[in-house]
Amino acid sequence: MQADELLVLVAGGDHQAFEELYGLVSGPVYGLVRRVVRDPAQSEEVAQEVLLELWRSAARFDPGRGSALSWVLTLAHRRAVDRVRSARAAGEREQREARRADGPAFDQVAEEVEAGLEREWVRRCLDRLTALQRQSVTLAYYDGYTYREVAERLSLPLGTVKTRMRDGLTRLRDCLGGAA
Amino acid sequence: MSLPARLVRRGDLHSLAAPYALDALDPAERVRFEKHLGSCRRCAAEVRALAEDAVRLAWSTAAPAPAVLRDRVLAAVRATPQDPAPRETVRARAAPLPPHVRGAAPLPRARERRRAPLFVPFATATAAAALVVASLFAVQADRTQDRLDAERDRSREIAHVLAAPDARASSGRDARGRTIGVIASASEGSAIVTLGGYDDPPNGRVRQLWLMRPGAGPRSLGLFESDTPLVASGLEESATSLAVTVEPDGGSPRPTGRPVVQLALKTVGFGE
Repeated sequence: MQADELLVLVAGGDHQAFEELYGLVSGPVYGLVRRVVRDPAQSEEVAQEVLLELWRSAARFDPGRGSALSWVLTLAHRRAVDRVRSARAAGEREQREARRADGPAFDQVAEEVEAGLEREWVRRCLDRLTALQRQSVTLAYYDGYTYREVAERLSLPLGTVKTRMRDGLTRLRDCLGGAA
Repeated sequence: MSLPARLVRRGDLHSLAAPYALDALDPAERVRFEKHLGSCRRCAAEVRALAEDAVRLAWSTAAPAPAVLRDRVLAAVRATPQDPAPRETVRARAAPLPPHVRGAAPLPRARERRRAPLFVPFATATAAAALVVASLFAVQADRTQDRLDAERDRSREIAHVLAAPDARASSGRDARGRTIGVIASASEGSAIVTLGGYDDPPNGRVRQLWLMRPGAGPRSLGLFESDTPLVASGLEESATSLAVTVEPDGGSPRPTGRPVVQLALKTVGFGE
């Protein structure tokens, strides 16, 4: 069964459907959270929150507005970013320095996890962006920086970063177009 | 504000669509932009498209989740009622359940499961968690929103205990087959305690849970309400056991009778 159908069953309180759904989404959710949060223990915590929230608010899912996987990944990303920002705000300087040292680090993290067709596809499409588009998008999405922080890190005006983000995402859409 | 200034401001808001889709706004801006979204159809469509694009970036990050996460999530799910559907989508669903039913899915087999032999040592805390907690969220058609909220809070507390790395479970049984189960985390100093097989206490009496500690009197951990689990926090690591007594309504400052059941806490990491 597809994630979308399962999620509708889950909204009705179906535990078995949730277990099945877990099998489909836990990898993408955990991987994404891990990519943003980095710390394994904290990643587990955030992933657990997200998956529990998936159960709790399954009834909010509106199939007319996108796929179940997109929905849960959007949720996971929001939570991961919140976590990494509050960790930064709490002055985890060491972590921040480590993060700074390894920079955008798309390549290196890609190695941590198993290679896959989709990963390869995304990587190839990211390679087709201009350097500034790619950095603007990945610093925000994979590293959880706000566009203001991205602008600061790349020494660019705010307007430029916003435009690069938009152009980067649009170009990514064109490149990945048929892959959905 | 002059018209050009307003246009600039609006253009400024529009330009936040991509950062918003990437979760790259700070909280204040996020709120401001979401407010704007509510009144701008074009933006909503655009944001949706950009958000779909952003999600594609997640495709490259999937990684197998640790096995322990599965146990934790599934156990927590058993202890967590669901939110009711927002009104506008309820109609769209096939045979929607009323919100109060949706709020806590029936677990038809839970009661049988609780009758399983409790002497068997639990392989993992989460297996026990499912056993102890599952039966306690059966449907009650008369739940009010306050009650649902209270339950949700309690579920969160329960999930929190379950998520502790040192969460362990234990259970005991008295001569008449009545049971007490506990899932506890010594590092968090918290425990979920549940009773099974007990009739309602006589009118005007309640069951009270006590923490037994060396060198100090019993400390009350609260009153049981029918068969809902009690979540206790602030437990001292030196605590030796839990005890339940029957007390006058409202509870007592000190136990007034013999415990009806008692459970040592050593196996769940206390008393060391």
